[in-house]
Amino acid sequence: MSRVVSFVRQPIVVALVLIVLLLYLGEALSPGFATGGQILRLLIVASLLGIVAAGQNVVILGGREGIDLSVGGVVSLSAIIAGNVMNGADGGILPAVAACLAAGAFFGLLNGLGVTLLRIPPLVMTLGMLGVLQGLLVVIRMGIPSGQAAPALSRFVTQPLAYGIPGIIWLWIVIGILLALMLNRTVFGHRIYAIGSNEHAAYMAGVPVKLVRIALFMTSGMFAATAGLCLLGYSGTSFANVGEQYMLPSIIAVVFGGTSLAGGKGGYTGTMAGAVLLVILQSILTTINIEESGRQMVFGATLLLLMMFYGRGRAMRA
Amino acid sequence: MSKLKLSGVSKAYGATLALRRGDLELMAGEVHVLMGSNGSGKSTLCKIIAGSVRPDGGKILVDDQPVTISGPRSARAHGIGIFYQELSLAARRSVEENISLGKLPVKSRVFIDRSELRQRAARYIGLFDGVCGEGFSADTLVGNLRPDQRQLVEIMKALASEAPLLIFDEPTSALDRAQVERFFEILRDLKRRGRGIIFISHRMDEIKAIGDRVTIIRDGETITTLNLDDTDPAAVIRLMVGGAGDMPASQSSVPAVVEGKGGAALTVRDLSGRGFRNVSFEVGRGEILGFGGLHGQGQSAVLRAIFGAGSIASGEILIGDSRFDAANPRDAIRRGCAYVSGDRSRDGVISGRPIIENVTPIHYLRDRLLIARPGKLRDRVAPALESMHTKFASLFHPIGSLSGGNQQKVIIARWLIDRPDVLLLDDPTKGIDLSAKADLFALIRQLAAEGLGIVLYSSEDAELLGNANRILVFNGGSVSRELTGADRTRYNLYQAAYEAA
Repeated sequence: MSRVVSFVRQPIVVALVLIVLLLYLGEALSPGFATGGQILRLLIVASLLGIVAAGQNVVILGGREGIDLSVGGVVSLSAIIAGNVMNGADGGILPAVAACLAAGAFFGLLNGLGVTLLRIPPLVMTLGMLGVLQGLLVVIRMGIPSGQAAPALSRFVTQPLAYGIPGIIWLWIVIGILLALMLNRTVFGHRIYAIGSNEHAAYMAGVPVKLVRIALFMTSGMFAATAGLCLLGYSGTSFANVGEQYMLPSIIAVVFGGTSLAGGKGGYTGTMAGAVLLVILQSILTTINIEESGRQMVFGATLLLLMMFYGRGRAMRA
Repeated sequence: MSKLKLSGVSKAYGATLALRRGDLELMAGEVHVLMGSNGSGKSTLCKIIAGSVRPDGGKILVDDQPVTISGPRSARAHGIGIFYQELSLAARRSVEENISLGKLPVKSRVFIDRSELRQRAARYIGLFDGVCGEGFSADTLVGNLRPDQRQLVEIMKALASEAPLLIFDEPTSALDRAQVERFFEILRDLKRRGRGIIFISHRMDEIKAIGDRVTIIRDGETITTLNLDDTDPAAVIRLMVGGAGDMPASQSSVPAVVEGKGGAALTVRDLSGRGFRNVSFEVGRGEILGFGGLHGQGQSAVLRAIFGAGSIASGEILIGDSRFDAANPRDAIRRGCAYVSGDRSRDGVISGRPIIENVTPIHYLRDRLLIARPGKLRDRVAPALESMHTKFASLFHPIGSLSGGNQQKVIIARWLIDRPDVLLLDDPTKGIDLSAKADLFALIRQLAAEGLGIVLYSSEDAELLGNANRILVFNGGSVSRELTGADRTRYNLYQAAYEAA
């Protein structure tokens, strides 16, 4: 009995149940909401969010109030870099991928160095970095939309690749498997959990705490850059601050998936379910004609509500 | 006239009797010294008087009236003030505010009365005029003061309570000679004014200088109260040690030194750093070297410094024949040094993670692993845990599901997969049960027999006497005495620990 209760109370189970409920709700509000094609379209959007949340997830797992608020800026920057490097030609895809990942890693490195060497709290460091990136975007674009997605990239994101499923969803699944393996079956993964659970004990057991933390921020930057690249493929061209909408949802998806904001507890599988859940919620809000501002309010309130529930759960267990 | 009288006061924490029977009578106009070794129950006794611990039984009389002290506020209402050993100051507030922290003067019911605050602070700062040291003034932030100055503020705060009954729990540990002397003058003045003072210190010279009577606590029981004029330090120590104090240490098994292995595992020459100075010693292969003395005399600081987790100002460390100066624990581990802390929750346990992940970090590092295969790791981890009879249901259960003793075994098992050359044990049995202790020491002696050099700091003298081949007694950050062979007695250990620094 208690096993059943603890199974049902697992965040991922809660998220999956909510996903089914929300699909029914969407179908009731607007018939055709939960058809196969529509669900695939939702999953494409969810995979973009999910890839950003992957980086957010590892940073949060690393503890010491780890959080990456700069992901939105990196997504936008990466979309612009990709658009300009490939400029509509398939041959430009590989250089674009390299350039995006390098940019993501670079800004992640700056975040990591600021947090470890200068001891700036992650919240402040990455918020500052977001400001820098937003300014940078204004400077390099000078307000004019620029860059075109290569046709192959657009096909990869929007058209079925195998078994009727678009490439980006396959990419997301591969990322999900790789992250699960990394967290559970590699020394690096165990070290992430160790520094997130008890940083001092990890240090005394020879874990290179600073290097691991820098690597986490770089990982986050690279995932955000990957998402920016795919986002370009999804929308065809890059426009102002496309990435901004990812900051808050990427954090909510992680928390929804059962990862503790205190670090050291959780995993990526739940986060994937959280990302799907958020995208469906967003879609329902759009269906019933709620403006972007209204959606932001709902998201913010969702995060606070989650924190209340999880906070209470922890207090009850203690 | 009796200020305070305790009779038959007791306190148990779960199954542990912290205080079996506390009898104490404090007269007006006396300085009453409490003496006892670590864990003998004197802190518990003080906490009961100060109201931060409620006794299970016994009677308390203040000014011959029976009272119940229900909490710190109630203690204050009964005229009891305390100096806390762990300083209780607000670091970001000024000296003057801290002095009056217990009872801030107010005007019109809400506003702080600044001028009264200043006058009051000036009165107590004035008492220490000339010995406060540089940079000390009423408006300095406490966080910017040196440790000895902070301790002075704590003393001023206790004095400012103007309580008729004052408790000072090791008030002089950070003070220099001139500051101590001034403080004692103030105490003598308070005595003349009929205050009652309970004083805890480990420095025999100070106790002789300021105390009138001494009450000795041993194993949770107040043994006796003596006039300090009628006694001498040796007699006091004999009482603290108890009956069998002069017996040479009995090794609970054959001495661990293995003849013929030879050579030094660890050599330390003139090591100085934060909390210790000029420490030199050598640990042979197969030897267990004990660190003794009172708490916080530099033993932990030395061990942590060797392991790369503390500061070293000067000196030299060798492991085997090669120079060893670990920049951090990672470096130290790679080069064959191991360290087990008694503070499990801070230094050891990776909370919330499975038992297996709490054992593997050292193995990962020393074998330069990248992939963690559970099956393969289990074959290495399980024997290490079983060698200490660790009780666990599954390697994949969180470490928090184990008892304290079993958690500590898990932490020690870390070091058993890839054997180090030197094992530093920093009070490793703090807060664990007797059978776990027995398992740990059996293992430690076995490791020594295998040729490891082991340094054991323990706050329990019995552990040192029963396991160490030699004991270095620390006092004020340096080694004050080395006990070998038949000199390893409880009496000698106490005497070296308590003599003036």
